[in-house]
This record gives sequence, C-alpha cells and structure tokens, in this order.
Amino acid sequence: MKSLLTTLALTTALTLPGLAMARPVTLTTQLSNYGGDGAYLALYVTDSSGAYAGTLWMAGGKSKYYDSLSDWYRATGGDPAQINGITGASVGAGRTLEITLDLADALFDAGYTLHIDAAVEEMRNSPNEVAVPLTTAGAGTAVKGRRYVASFTYDM
Amino acid sequence: MKKTLTVLALLAALPAGMAFADDDCSVPLANWQPREAVERLAQDNGWTLRRIKIDDGCYEVKGRDATGREIKAKIDPATLRVIKLKYKNDDRDDDDDDDDDDKDRARRDRKDGVSPAAPSTAPRNPLFGNGAPPTVLVK
Repeated sequence: MKSLLTTLALTTALTLPGLAMARPVTLTTQLSNYGGDGAYLALYVTDSSGAYAGTLWMAGGKSKYYDSLSDWYRATGGDPAQINGITGASVGAGRTLEITLDLADALFDAGYTLHIDAAVEEMRNSPNEVAVPLTTAGAGTAVKGRRYVASFTYDM
Repeated sequence: MKKTLTVLALLAALPAGMAFADDDCSVPLANWQPREAVERLAQDNGWTLRRIKIDDGCYEVKGRDATGREIKAKIDPATLRVIKLKYKNDDRDDDDDDDDDDKDRARRDRKDGVSPAAPSTAPRNPLFGNGAPPTVLVK
C-alpha cells in the first residue's frame, strides 16, 4: 500500500510540475540602433551540460531564415514543433521585445543558461548573442549582447 | 487515506496538456503526404478544389463539394483525416482569393504594439510552468 502511494505521489509530481512550481518572469530584450532590418531572435535554454532544453520564443516568422540562428538551429535542426505557438514578428532596430511567461521554477539556480541567437538580413549572424545563467540572484541585472542586443534583463 | 489515493490517482492520470487541445497539426515534415494525396482525397470525396494551402501546420483546402456548396476543410497532413469541414454561405460571390478567414481578420484588427503572431495556443514545451502562452509586446 505504501509503495503504491509513493508511486502515485511520484507520478503525480511528474505530471504536475507545471501547475504548481512556476513563476512569472519577464524577459526584456532591447535592441541597439544597428541600422538594419528587423532582427530574428531565438530565445532558448540549455541545461548545465550545455544540452538544449527548449525554446522560449522565436521572433521572426519565416522559417527559411531560421538556419541563420545557427546555434539554435544546430540544437533543434529547425524543428517546427520546438516553436509551435511561440513565434512572433521580428524585432526592429532600437525596439524592445518584452516577453512575460510562467517559467518552471526548476530552471533557476540549477545550471540552466538562457541564450539568444540573433540574425539580421544582409548583416552578420550572431549566434549566442546573449548567454545568461538563470539564477534568482541574477534577476534584474542587465546584460549587454555582442552585436545587436543593447541590453537583456530577466525580472521575476 | 483512500480518498487521498483516489485524488492522487486522478491527478496522475491527467495528461499535462489536455486542457490545451486545439485543431492545429504538428506533424514532422518527413511524415507529410504530398499535395497530390490531398487532391486524390478531394476527388474521392467529390470535391472540386480551388486552392490547397498550409495553415497552422495542417493542409487547408477550399473549393466546392459534390453538390456545389462552398467548403473549407482542414486536413491532417499525415493521416489525411478531415479535422474540420466548414460550409460557407453560398450567396456570396467568389472572393476566396482574398482569403478572409477569421485569422486574417484578427490580423487586420490587431492593435499596434502586439506581436503579429501572438500565440493563441499554449506552447508544447516543458520550460513553461503553466502551459499558458507567453505575452509578448514590442515597444
């Protein structure tokens, strides 16, 4: 009986993490005035071993350009299921992309890193434009990107 | 104790994404049937197709059925199952080329600042705590 209860408790815990253990997080990506077309941005997460864990948002509607987001593309093979329902428009130079979502608690302080790959037509691709460890202490701290992102912050 | 068990069993049995079922398709590209297969299906059903396009990951066809009624159907790209079949008001003239389905209307009515493809369905992604779609704003 006891083992049955344990099994049930375990399966329940595995089924339900989404319902209980999450917190609202706002990801703010401000682009610099790089003077070009709208940027394609892939926001995704890798785990402590650097393995791809999942995508949070894809800014940019045409899948034929996704291979320019080269790190993301290498991790996913451009799999459309990875971005099903979480795709929006590309982001213009100087604009700010603000994403609010409920992020699983388990991602924080556990070695997960949030990455942004960026690409702009006729300009250089910038895989791993931003890479920030997801920690509760790091929330609210602005990080500068390598080429197109003026600042990136996650707030909880 | 028995009650707790029952509740736990019920919760465990609930598939995580159940509440978010919709009529989109998510079929890997490798499993897609060619357009000719859709044409054959239409022929078998006695439909005359005017247009085959891809929408929300499904095939979407427009045309007329055997009785001449205007139809719009959503078809699973792998199994070719008809997911949705809509009959349109036939009094209207053929204005199908400007494809005014609900989605386009929503796109036209969109307010400034909201991302054009703001998701209406929950992402299928374990990172998302509650399975709700993100809210996105471009400033």
